[in-house]
Amino acid sequence: MTILYILDVPENVPVVKVAAQDTAVTVDKVGPYFAVASPATIVIDRRATGCRHAVWYSSVAGLAGARITQWDKDALRVEPR
Amino acid sequence: MTGLSHKAKGVDHAAFPTFDPAATVRFYRDVLGFPVVHSICAAGWGPEDHPDFIHFFFDIGNGDRIAFFYYFGLEPPAGGPQGDVYARFAADAPRFFIRSRHLAIHVDSDEDLTEYQRRLDGSEWPCTLRLQHETIESIYTDDPNGYMIEFTRALRPVTPQEDLDANLTIDALLDVVSGGNPSMDALLTRKAELIVERAADWEQRREAAQNEGAQRELTRS
Amino acid sequence: MHTHRVGLVVPSSNVTVETELPALLCRHPQARFSFHSARMRMRTVSAQQLAAMNAQRERCIMEIADAAPDVILYACLVALMTGEPGEHQRAEGAIAEQLATGGSQALVRSSAGALIEALTVLNAKRIAIVTPYLRPLAAKVVGYLEASGFEVADWRALEVAGNAEVGCISGERVMAAARSLDLSGTDALVISACVQMPSLSLVAAAEQEFGLPVLSAATAGAYSLLRGLRLPVAIPDAGRLLRADAAVAG
Repeated sequence: MTILYILDVPENVPVVKVAAQDTAVTVDKVGPYFAVASPATIVIDRRATGCRHAVWYSSVAGLAGARITQWDKDALRVEPR
Repeated sequence: MTGLSHKAKGVDHAAFPTFDPAATVRFYRDVLGFPVVHSICAAGWGPEDHPDFIHFFFDIGNGDRIAFFYYFGLEPPAGGPQGDVYARFAADAPRFFIRSRHLAIHVDSDEDLTEYQRRLDGSEWPCTLRLQHETIESIYTDDPNGYMIEFTRALRPVTPQEDLDANLTIDALLDVVSGGNPSMDALLTRKAELIVERAADWEQRREAAQNEGAQRELTRS
Repeated sequence: MHTHRVGLVVPSSNVTVETELPALLCRHPQARFSFHSARMRMRTVSAQQLAAMNAQRERCIMEIADAAPDVILYACLVALMTGEPGEHQRAEGAIAEQLATGGSQALVRSSAGALIEALTVLNAKRIAIVTPYLRPLAAKVVGYLEASGFEVADWRALEVAGNAEVGCISGERVMAAARSLDLSGTDALVISACVQMPSLSLVAAAEQEFGLPVLSAATAGAYSLLRGLRLPVAIPDAGRLLRADAAVAG
């Protein structure tokens, strides 16, 4: 399982919303963190989130069973390790 | 977290050398409006002999101060082409590293940030940049000595979960650095483990403490 | 043997500090001292000249600290005691900050602070003083001492404005003023609350005559320097203040 942890603060919410558009993705809470999980790769389109540059690049709090293979102005791509 | 009492009261002074006291005073006192609040005239009387000097202080708000040393007759020490008057770097030293050390001064509002921008833009030291970070908006310039100065305002108040997150980051960082092969990937993986270990519990304890506080409020009234 | 270097910051017309302090301290049974001065221009003891003199303090500290003294005595009592309460602590603090910032290890004392220190050590609460000043300045000195917690039961102002003249006031005149004081119920007599009015030869005799502790700005200064330098306070023939450790020093 690929899990991406994102801190629940207002500017991170769009990132989680866009991730959740994928039907394979489930979103739970662990304390104040969103646990964004998928059996496969998670892809989040940056423009769809509308996030500012600095918010985008600091949105990932933790990775479980996963590695980041793309994190740029276009997308965040998290693949199973 | 450690249970130690926190008695520190901010920045008594952050001190820097200058070779141009006139421009330094123009920048801090005349352009920015930071009052001169103290000065000391002294010489090098200790074991290390050094020139006579003036140590002078500007108030940067909240009783905190920025201070400068001006040494009479001192030639700037040799160094590379990049950097400020204190730290000189070789031509190939990366800019991001050189600019990593800087002083950021807090302001309370967009109005105040814009006012300082206006003052700087009307001076010999205009803003080089204005941009927004995670939760803050900042303007930047270099003072006459090449020291990077930032003015910054909060876009929203810091939340308690950000305090937790910062502490988890540090704990994960110390773990991966001592592990011998530190990387962002290792840090994020370790931090996920700490999140699973601690985050749910943290939230429960916080809610319990809030409920207790609310109960006390009710019984008081 | 280590010679203790004493830095003196004196009003330019002062001759008494540089006479009485060495005279006192050379009587010390063991310790040896050398004396080095910096001068602040002042010739008339008026409020304006005193303010102008205080402005020279930074320059004098710059100069005297170059001689690496062990202790610096800011030796003009009236300059500080005509200021607001706490003036001597502020001045001593500013001097200490100037020295510390430049890495000097010199201790700081002032004649004003030394007088208060000495009176406190003598446990004196009710005192009488003789000053050479014009009445308004003398009254300010009295007020400063009272704000520092002492009751000034009686006082004299000899009203000599020229500082050079003050340095020539005769011992008879000082003793006459002292004898005219109402000393009933007093714990101590400050026979000269001024570092320019000579009084050293009078102190011991006055103690005998009046039967109570007698001190001067000079003897208080010597006491404070010795305590600061952690030397035994054992100076003969200058009043009981300076014999505090006499039994110990042998």
